[in-house]
Amino acid sequence: MTYDHLRQLLVLSLLFCIQTASIVQGAQDLERKASMLLREEPENPKCFAEGRKDFTCFWEEDEETTGSVDQYSFTYTYQNENSSKCPLRALHTADGKRLYVCHLNRTQMFVQMDIQVHRQGLLIHNRSLLIELVFLLNPPANVTVSNNGEQGQLRVSWVPPPLKYMDDSMMYEVSYAPADSQTEQVEVVRASSELILRGLQPGTQYSVRVRVKLDGISYNGYWSAWSDPVLTNTLPADLDPLIVSLSLIISLILIVLSLTVLLSHRSFLIKKIWPAIPNPESKFQGLFTVYGGDFQEWLGQTNGGLWLTPVFFYPEESPSPLEVLSELSLSPSLPSPQEEEGGLDEEKRLGQVDSALMGQWRGMPHDQWLMDQLQTLHRQPAPCSQSSLLESQDAYVTLNANNHSGDEHLDDILEETAPLEVLFASMRNVSSESHSDMGSLQQSSGSGRLSSESSFEYPNHTWPPKGHGYTYMVVADSGVSMDYSPMSSSRVDDIGKVVIYANEYKNEIPAHRRPLLTSYM
Amino acid sequence: MNTVHQEPMLDGGLFALLLIVLEWTRPGLPSPLRPICDLRVLNHFIKEARDAESAMRSCREGCSLSESVTVPQTRVDFDIWEKKNALDQAQEVQSGLWLLHQALSSLRASVTNTALHSHLDNSIRNLLSINAVLRSLNIQEYTPPASVVAGDETWQVSSATDLLQVYVNFLRGKVRLLLLDAQACHQDVS
Repeated sequence: MTYDHLRQLLVLSLLFCIQTASIVQGAQDLERKASMLLREEPENPKCFAEGRKDFTCFWEEDEETTGSVDQYSFTYTYQNENSSKCPLRALHTADGKRLYVCHLNRTQMFVQMDIQVHRQGLLIHNRSLLIELVFLLNPPANVTVSNNGEQGQLRVSWVPPPLKYMDDSMMYEVSYAPADSQTEQVEVVRASSELILRGLQPGTQYSVRVRVKLDGISYNGYWSAWSDPVLTNTLPADLDPLIVSLSLIISLILIVLSLTVLLSHRSFLIKKIWPAIPNPESKFQGLFTVYGGDFQEWLGQTNGGLWLTPVFFYPEESPSPLEVLSELSLSPSLPSPQEEEGGLDEEKRLGQVDSALMGQWRGMPHDQWLMDQLQTLHRQPAPCSQSSLLESQDAYVTLNANNHSGDEHLDDILEETAPLEVLFASMRNVSSESHSDMGSLQQSSGSGRLSSESSFEYPNHTWPPKGHGYTYMVVADSGVSMDYSPMSSSRVDDIGKVVIYANEYKNEIPAHRRPLLTSYM
Repeated sequence: MNTVHQEPMLDGGLFALLLIVLEWTRPGLPSPLRPICDLRVLNHFIKEARDAESAMRSCREGCSLSESVTVPQTRVDFDIWEKKNALDQAQEVQSGLWLLHQALSSLRASVTNTALHSHLDNSIRNLLSINAVLRSLNIQEYTPPASVVAGDETWQVSSATDLLQVYVNFLRGKVRLLLLDAQACHQDVS
């Protein structure tokens, strides 16, 4: 028995608790809705329907001026029907006001309802309304926000208020904003209980809430309260593969283009960036590689290399005494060398000189002749060294150190000089200097050959030098480059074999005739 | 003798069979109306009815009913409504629409304000469209009784605004509920 009693008590207490909780919750809901309606609805009494069957009306009174609840009467009349009364109850609100509330559990919709509130017989409030046009629903429940796998999107879904026949008449507002910002956006949804939010920032937390209202065609009402906000993060930003691939392709194309341009202009760029320092290495064989840039030494060691010009010679070298010898007049009867343009007289004179020279030559020993030449040198300046490079057309003389008696060759030489004389005559007009040189040369050596602007090689067979002879050569160049090969004195045997040839502009010495030529030092 | 009697019966039976077969396979028979389940049609009618009501409310002269008309009751108590079966609901809606049609025609005749004429013509057209919609949902048509009987579901109005208000409320209430509950629509959806 006691056990049963206890069980019954327990059940009753549980029921009581549940009911109290629901009542308290209902009261809280009512207070919330009442406060919202008090703000929005101007008419009195404020009425709203929460569902298909219930209906609540209330009005507010100040505590000071109000009476007891019995003083008030709430009367409502449907069209074409008799009026009815609604029992009132009083609620005390937080801000010192009193609410008188009428609640109906059965209603008729789509028909006009007239409401009258009397206080002690006096009409204080009057209102006509249609109940289906004053809905105030609870906010949507179970608002869920989730990622639907797309960038910058969120899927919002909720459960609509459980009202039969009214699902397709409901209108929703979804408010979303980043959690830390105050600017919110609102989307309106009709007759659907989910929405996809687009255009959201990736990787941010969004706060989403929903409220509901009837659409106003068949039913109407007020906006419900906002649902509790739901916080969700959007997907973090990731690289759009299309953008990444496009940027890679564009950069590749740009690189290829720039490489192509660089390669096509590489010679120009190289010249600009690494300008070629002029290197005279090619002109001086071995100057840098062997002698390390020491020009003096290099000059001393080489015989002029392959590509010598008088440019490098004349500033360095002074003519040797031998060279001056060529200008001495051996015979006093012979006219002194003069720079003059000659005519036929000169020709003759040359011929005479030539024969005179020959006579002289035969008479004098070679050494004595050399000494005389030397003495003459000291007395007379050597014009050759002062001559400008371009104007110098010095004759060159090759002295033959040949001990052979050149007598038998003299005739040959004499004969051979004849064409030279002709050459001299033709070239005399070009330069007077050379003429004088030629003249001196004729005088000085019988076996010597003269050259004018051009350079000749003189096989000097007939000089019978004693001791060691020198073969030397005066470089005469009027700008024409000559190619000389070094000669050694030991190769005097070959002198006789050299054949003379005359070349006006070039001096090409065949290799096998080289022995006669040597450069003086 | 027997054979003579049987022959016409056989012929009649064969003929009946032939008719049945032909009826069944009749070519060119128009297919039954597709059920119009989209309530946006009704929403459109409701909006136009509301426009007519507001126009009537702002009318000052030339807009009165010459005589009182019978209109259906528009009130809906959901408990009661849900207890009714589909047939009763359909009957209620169809009779109400018929009554409204009569009333609006009478109003149209008595209103002299030309601005309201278009509204009323529109409303009458919409009523006929609603009839077509209900026909598409296989809801039987209403055959009016020989004499008008004032029942529970009717009442008299003498004001044009009241009439139009009734019209609007009827569309929003009972007509809509009937369309929502129509079996034809539920069969398609499910």
